[in-house]
Amino acid sequence: MNNIVSIDKVAKVFRVGDEDFTALHEISLDIEPGAFMSFVGPSGSGKTTLLNLIGGLDQPTSGSVFFKNVKLGELNRTALAEYRRKNLGFIFQTYNLLPVYSVYENILFPLLLDGNKESAVRRSVLDMVDSVGLSDQIKKRPSQLSGGQCQRVAIARALVKKPELILADEPTANLDAENSFQILELMRELNKQFKAAFIFSTHDEKVTKYVNREVGLEDGRVCWDKRRNGSGSFE
Amino acid sequence: MIFNIAWKNFSRQGIRAVLNVMVTALAMIAVVFNISLYNGFQAQTTRNMIRTDVAGGHYRVPGFDILSPTEWEDVTRKIPESLDDLPNAERASALVQQGQLFPNRRLYPVQLRGIDVHQTLLDLPLDGLKSYGERVEDIIPAVLGVKMAQKAHLKQGDTTVLKWRDRHGVVDARDLLVVDVVTMVNSRVDEGVLWLRLDHLQDMTQRQNEISWVAVKEFQGPVQGMEFQEVDELIADILNLIENDRKYAQVFWVILIFLAGIGVFNTQILNVFKRQKEIGTLMALGMTSAQVVGLFTLEGSMAALLSVFVALLLGTALFAWFQSVGLDISHLAESTIPVHENILLDIHSGEVVSTIVIIVSVMVLVSWLPVRKITRLDPTLALRGRAIT
Ligand SMILES: Nc1ncnc2c1ncn2[C@@H]1O[C@H](COP(=O)(O)OP(=O)(O)OP(=O)(O)O)[C@@H](O)[C@H]1O
Ligand SMILES: [Mg+2]
Repeated sequence: MNNIVSIDKVAKVFRVGDEDFTALHEISLDIEPGAFMSFVGPSGSGKTTLLNLIGGLDQPTSGSVFFKNVKLGELNRTALAEYRRKNLGFIFQTYNLLPVYSVYENILFPLLLDGNKESAVRRSVLDMVDSVGLSDQIKKRPSQLSGGQCQRVAIARALVKKPELILADEPTANLDAENSFQILELMRELNKQFKAAFIFSTHDEKVTKYVNREVGLEDGRVCWDKRRNGSGSFE
Repeated sequence: MIFNIAWKNFSRQGIRAVLNVMVTALAMIAVVFNISLYNGFQAQTTRNMIRTDVAGGHYRVPGFDILSPTEWEDVTRKIPESLDDLPNAERASALVQQGQLFPNRRLYPVQLRGIDVHQTLLDLPLDGLKSYGERVEDIIPAVLGVKMAQKAHLKQGDTTVLKWRDRHGVVDARDLLVVDVVTMVNSRVDEGVLWLRLDHLQDMTQRQNEISWVAVKEFQGPVQGMEFQEVDELIADILNLIENDRKYAQVFWVILIFLAGIGVFNTQILNVFKRQKEIGTLMALGMTSAQVVGLFTLEGSMAALLSVFVALLLGTALFAWFQSVGLDISHLAESTIPVHENILLDIHSGEVVSTIVIIVSVMVLVSWLPVRKITRLDPTLALRGRAIT
């Protein structure tokens, strides 16, 4: 298989007090490289849980998650950190920028973490800042930016190391319509440009217009899986 | 890399970091200050006793007990030659007898302390007695401490009647002239004590050359007919008193350290608590647990180091100032504690170091433990701010 992510009969059970709560019921899914897709479903349907499992931030109760044939369950903590560092970009609903860092430093951060010297990657950081249209704000701190601008920084931070997979948990939930469209447009642009796969979770209708594939979740089960066909409508 | 991040995080926290550092520094200063004050109290007390009374120890006539005035009369003897021959700077002979003053027609029992006026071993302001001859005349010259003068309602130039008994038990009485009222740093040689010339007291009691004790600069080996008492024995009661005080000081030290520790703990925990999401984000970005823990521990260590630096700086300034003023404890002058002047700090390096070590350890520990706990849980909890609640 040459999927970027394979989810094989993944279940997730949370223990709440002394009761078990099943957030995901044996889900199976394959995601191809360069996908631009979303998990949609009502609140509590398990979207975040599924993204966390793909990101190696959480472990399934049963079943396996593969990233390009590597079974995440077999990686230890350090290897998981490396997996995230090398292959993943995260975009959060609440942006999660590092508050004491400037726009430039926030975007530079993943590259430094990966062992690059600043002088060697300066150019690509500046290009990235440019790609998300923030060249004028480069020295500002997150607290001095609008929500839309923060999310652009977060997107740039996720993309700067050219990962193969971007996980975006409700990236537009805190943004108004105008900003949501811009952000989605930007991500689709970057998806084409960098060939990175994007997986969103959302209950935002607007997202549907942009994605090529939509997986519907309800009560921890996949209830539909639609792809855009050649003529641009879902089937 | 981690170091750079830590430094950025630390140096850009702004006012919160400054406050954190200041609070920690002040806590350390307070802790050291408190214990040093007690040390100073102890040191000064001991020093005063030694300076004015005890010197390097006493050769005492066996059986002499300063607490049994009724026996003073009989517990005397001629001064041994070996001690008498010592230079003035190395021995101070004293004869102690009972007497009664009658200021304002009231009876006031006193300790008559005859002291060799030529001695320079003890630091006693008795120059007023020097100009008198060796034989006592019609009027007995005496020096009083300020407190004694107050209690007996006497001032310089006053005369009053002094009664005492000679070696045969015969009561004698004569006029006494207060030639000087002086400040005594040791209240134990002030209250109830009437300072006379040794030769006068010997003359008055017909105890030529007799003494109760000889204070010496240092131990001279055994002396026939005398009993040597070391400094520690002579100030044992004071040492006991101080030792009790010290225990309180140490308990207080522990409490202060504990409070300081809790303060530091609280600030750090709050810091980590507020930054849970950041911890989760760092892990999502691919930092290993060890890196995140290292980062926070490093930040904590930076704060700790800076606190130590600030504490040393401020502390040195504060202590220097304090040493030039001292703590006025004149309100304690009524007690039997032999200190009269202002108390200075006595800083023990061991206590300074242990204070620093404890506070710094707490600081580093609480920036390490909770973060380690968070990074060992799954990062999703930290991202949702639920790892520590
Ligand atoms: N750590 C946890 N402990 C217990 N239950 C959890 C935990 N995380 C998620 N759940 C539960 O699992 C279910 C799925 O949660 P999840 O966050 O994946 O939903 P979601 O689809 O992302 O919802 P939303 O749209 O509100 O973000 C919910 O019922 C939630 O209460
Ligand atoms: Mg969610």
